Amino acid sequence: MGYLDRTVRSFLLAELVAGMGATLRAFFKPKVTINYPYEKGPLSPRFRGEHALRRYPNGEERCIACKLCEATCPAEAITIESEPRDDGSRRTTRYDIDMTKCIYCGLCEEACPVDAIVEGPNYEFATETREELMYNKDKLLANGDRWESVLARRLELDAPYR
Amino acid sequence: MAHFFLHTLIGQVILTVLEALAVLVPLLLGVAYLTLAERKVMAAMQLRKGPNVNGPFGVLQAFADAIKMITKETVIPSGANRFLFLFAPFLTFSLAMTAWAVIPTNDGWAVANINVGVLYLLAISSLGVYGVLIAGWASNSKYAFLGGLRAAAQMVSYEVSIGLVIVSVLLAVGSLNLNDIVLAQRHVWFCLPMFPMFIIFFISALAETNRAPFDLPEGESELVAGFFVEYSALAFGLFFLGEYANMFLMSGMVSILFLGGWLPPIGIAPFTWIPGPLWLIAKILFCLFVFIWVRATFPRYRYDQLMRLGWKVFLPLSLVWMVLTAGFLLATGLLPQGGAS
Amino acid sequence: MVKVTVDGIVVDVPNGSSALQACEAAGKEIPRFCFHERLSVAGNCRMCLVQVVRAPKPVASCGFPVAEGMEILTDTEIVRKARRAVMEFLLINHPLDCPICDQGGECDLQDQAFGYGADHSRYQEAKRAVKDKYLGPLVKTVMTRCIQCTRCIRFATEIAGVPELGAVSRGENMEVTNYVEKALTSELSGNLIDICPVGALTSKPYAFTARPWELKRTDSIDVSDAVGTNISLHVRGSAVLRAVPRVNDAVNEEWLADKGRFSVDGLKHRRLDRPWVRVHGKLQAVSWQDAFVAIGRRLDGVPGDRIGAIAGDLCDAESMLALKDLMTALGSPNIDCRQDGADYDLSHRAYYTFGTTIAGIEDADALLIVGSIPRQEAPVLNARIRKRFLAAGRGGFPIGLIGAPTADPTYKAELLGEGPEVLAALRDGMHPFAEVLKAAKKPMIIVGHGALTRPDARAILASAWALAAETGAIGAGWNGFNVLHRAASRVAGLDMGLVPGKGGRSAAGMMSGGVDVLWLLGADEFHTAQIGPDTFVIYQGHHGDAAAARADVILPGATYAEKSGTYVNTEGRVQRSFRAVMPPGEAREDWRILRAFSEVVGHTLPYDTVEMLRERLATVNPVFRVIGGLDAVDASALPGPTGGGAVSSAPFRPVFDDYYQTDPICRASPTMGECSRIYVHPRTVAAE
Repeated sequence: MGYLDRTVRSFLLAELVAGMGATLRAFFKPKVTINYPYEKGPLSPRFRGEHALRRYPNGEERCIACKLCEATCPAEAITIESEPRDDGSRRTTRYDIDMTKCIYCGLCEEACPVDAIVEGPNYEFATETREELMYNKDKLLANGDRWESVLARRLELDAPYR
Repeated sequence: MAHFFLHTLIGQVILTVLEALAVLVPLLLGVAYLTLAERKVMAAMQLRKGPNVNGPFGVLQAFADAIKMITKETVIPSGANRFLFLFAPFLTFSLAMTAWAVIPTNDGWAVANINVGVLYLLAISSLGVYGVLIAGWASNSKYAFLGGLRAAAQMVSYEVSIGLVIVSVLLAVGSLNLNDIVLAQRHVWFCLPMFPMFIIFFISALAETNRAPFDLPEGESELVAGFFVEYSALAFGLFFLGEYANMFLMSGMVSILFLGGWLPPIGIAPFTWIPGPLWLIAKILFCLFVFIWVRATFPRYRYDQLMRLGWKVFLPLSLVWMVLTAGFLLATGLLPQGGAS
Repeated sequence: MVKVTVDGIVVDVPNGSSALQACEAAGKEIPRFCFHERLSVAGNCRMCLVQVVRAPKPVASCGFPVAEGMEILTDTEIVRKARRAVMEFLLINHPLDCPICDQGGECDLQDQAFGYGADHSRYQEAKRAVKDKYLGPLVKTVMTRCIQCTRCIRFATEIAGVPELGAVSRGENMEVTNYVEKALTSELSGNLIDICPVGALTSKPYAFTARPWELKRTDSIDVSDAVGTNISLHVRGSAVLRAVPRVNDAVNEEWLADKGRFSVDGLKHRRLDRPWVRVHGKLQAVSWQDAFVAIGRRLDGVPGDRIGAIAGDLCDAESMLALKDLMTALGSPNIDCRQDGADYDLSHRAYYTFGTTIAGIEDADALLIVGSIPRQEAPVLNARIRKRFLAAGRGGFPIGLIGAPTADPTYKAELLGEGPEVLAALRDGMHPFAEVLKAAKKPMIIVGHGALTRPDARAILASAWALAAETGAIGAGWNGFNVLHRAASRVAGLDMGLVPGKGGRSAAGMMSGGVDVLWLLGADEFHTAQIGPDTFVIYQGHHGDAAAARADVILPGATYAEKSGTYVNTEGRVQRSFRAVMPPGEAREDWRILRAFSEVVGHTLPYDTVEMLRERLATVNPVFRVIGGLDAVDASALPGPTGGGAVSSAPFRPVFDDYYQTDPICRASPTMGECSRIYVHPRTVAAE
């Protein structure tokens, strides 16, 4: 019986017709294409985009050079060098992220005890040269200053789930 | 005026050229828009919008592509046979165009209304394999060569079943003239009584034109781009045009052999108001839509599956059907007489 | 022996052992903060609680003596609960500043909190904060992190012998302090950093520079003194960031002197990183080839006995042997490894090594130190003397001192006199300390370089040996005659005979115009003005120190961190170090430089690899074949070093004035410079 059933179905091209039915239904469905860069899709507050180093409201940089992000980074994209600043506090003298190595896993953000390094909502940071993707501390702090309001809002939204 | 065109040599030449242009210009335009239509239809079936930037709804996309293709540099591989390399796309393209000479767009409307129209079409489409084979060989590249071999084997295999299907149709018509074949469907389109043959013919047409799911000669996953992997710019464009013109041709053949050509579905009032050529165009467009629809639906066949389908399924099926048709026609006395006499 | 059961495992431990030792014998790890194997037991952290069957409550295993048949349980719910409670108490006042703490990653409290800490704190009240203390330029304090284990207090008091740390107040208000704002006056203060289980005491020069997980560790040997302290160099990238001691009970236990620990920052300052040649009075940077050609041209036509070579204090045995072989090939008998002008009797190894061995100090029962200040010349060895002094109890280990009076040798020592005449008095029995030596079963005599760098060194050496022989210091099973070296390369140089050959000139002779071409292999510890103005000086070394400024050709060499080398410590113990980083710039390993140069002058040295060179080393003197070990020498049948002549009555001088500035690496080190300013020249600091 099963054999007969299979044979009949095969000769009636049942599967082919079913498949074509599926595509035909899709043909009339509303389309999902959005007109990037004029339209953009919604982003989760947890979206992991371009990195930024944040500051406290008084302008003091948050990063304390604990190097946990460097240690946790699976791609070893982060390089930190540190020494005591003149006021005796622990600060980085160098905070580099190789954005070409980074895999945007967000572990650095998770490891950071002071919410200094974060991955922001920006994903449009393509550059014309490779060198421009070697971010240094100045670039990261500038990112932080530029995105601070968004970053703070994202952290606030995500806080209940941490 | 009519005398000049019909009875002087120069007049006849000019008339033929005009007739050819009347077929070729809409055809080339159609091919250009078929590429766009394919992208749009596929996109829609994949929940996308497709090209929509160049002109309203992307209608200028076809011209943008054409300009790009023309202005690019034709790269000829250093190890290639220069002449054959350039000859192959030209051959493919011109054969695809030539076949249109016998396609009738209305009763008696054909560039050449010859009595061996079907034979002519079979011959021309068989020649098409040379373009592919020459391209594969002349490129002097293993991918192109393999693609060419596959294409040749595939086209030859499916031509066998196409031939047998056509024989069944011819049995019912009693003429090789395409005009007669259409007229023979005045009462019922052949797609209804010979439905399995219609399906086999359509699927074989897919294989014959190297379309998905039988686009193994191109097989980008294993052969990069198959026989035209080394082609670029205009040479590539000619292949491209040839392939899509072949799709038009096969759609035309399907329409004429099974869908009643320029005839309306039923010969009553509102349908008969519409002129025949529009009916033919509508049928061709429907076939092309199905071509694209199939491409958007099915994954590519494996090569052995393709060959098995051709030789072990379609060939015996069409053979049996042909015998059944002949027997049925003999038994019922419906066998057309006099066509051959 | 006592039979104890630990978690069902029966172990035999010596009488008087603690429960903790019994647990360790059974292979159970007991968490601890205050307990340390080499310090006295304090028992105040309570982390080492274990359950003793039939005891009413958990006991602190570090201070609990074992008894026959005792049953100890180390992993029961009671124990875990008790330890968790202790941990919670400790964490009440410990700040959660691990991210900015330098101990992070190598912190005992962090590690134990992982096992016994709660995931959140129940403590809502204000945390304690303690003012940081000033402990000098080496040790940084963050006293809020202190968990009052008192290890530092015990270390300073017991090991370092400088009771400058203590605790004030009690309970939660207890603070570890040094009472007054004053730098710790110990040459072993760096060990406080290792011994502190939390981040209260950390390294000041290393502050905030790296995390332990970033560091690559390479075994090495400290060359800042002749003890041969086993160290581990911690490297990140191309920089040596810190040196920490390795445990070697025969040599340094687990201590390291401050100079060896903190001079590593000198490895990247004032380095010679390319060859230089003096042209018309000015040094010009050249290629190796040009430098070799310049030397070769100068050597052309110079007879062998007008060429000389002096090896410095930091050299490895391999490069010294290559230098010796090169000089022999050039036909020069003028070689010396004693740039300080010391004189020894090389006829037997016992005459120039520390025969008792460092570990052997713990068996001695009387000590006479002649012309040496061990606290400065060998702080780690001095700690061993203090250990013996403390272990022997009051009067159990009398110590006599002949030489310059020092402020505090860290143990009670009787100053017998300042000059060599005291030796004669001791031999005559005129001096009361002679009786002490005679009464002792295992007396020791340490002769230092305050005595051996004098013109009458041989006479003093002979006299000291004679005294040792007469007092029973040299006998079967006990060798109490010791020479305390201060240069890491010296014993290796003496072992391979890097001393003037027949008719050869000594270091002093070479410098005062005795040779036309002088090859200095890292030799810096003399006034360059001593070198004759017409002498062509080749300086092969790693730092741009005084001798490099005088040199006509400079060949950049490698420091101890940049080459695999063999060093022989003052005991005669052969030890090997490994390369931690690459030499900077065009600098190369020293033996390779000599090997390459030998090819230029057509006397190719017969070794291509360091293994071949070491094979040659072992054929020159078989002692180089045994790495790390030390064979006991029976000195009882030895006739003693030869040497007579008049003994001058001049008092012994200290070997150096400034502990922190004794070699090119130290002088290049900013940390050592600061130490020198603070400890050795405090007045100039005050005047600023």
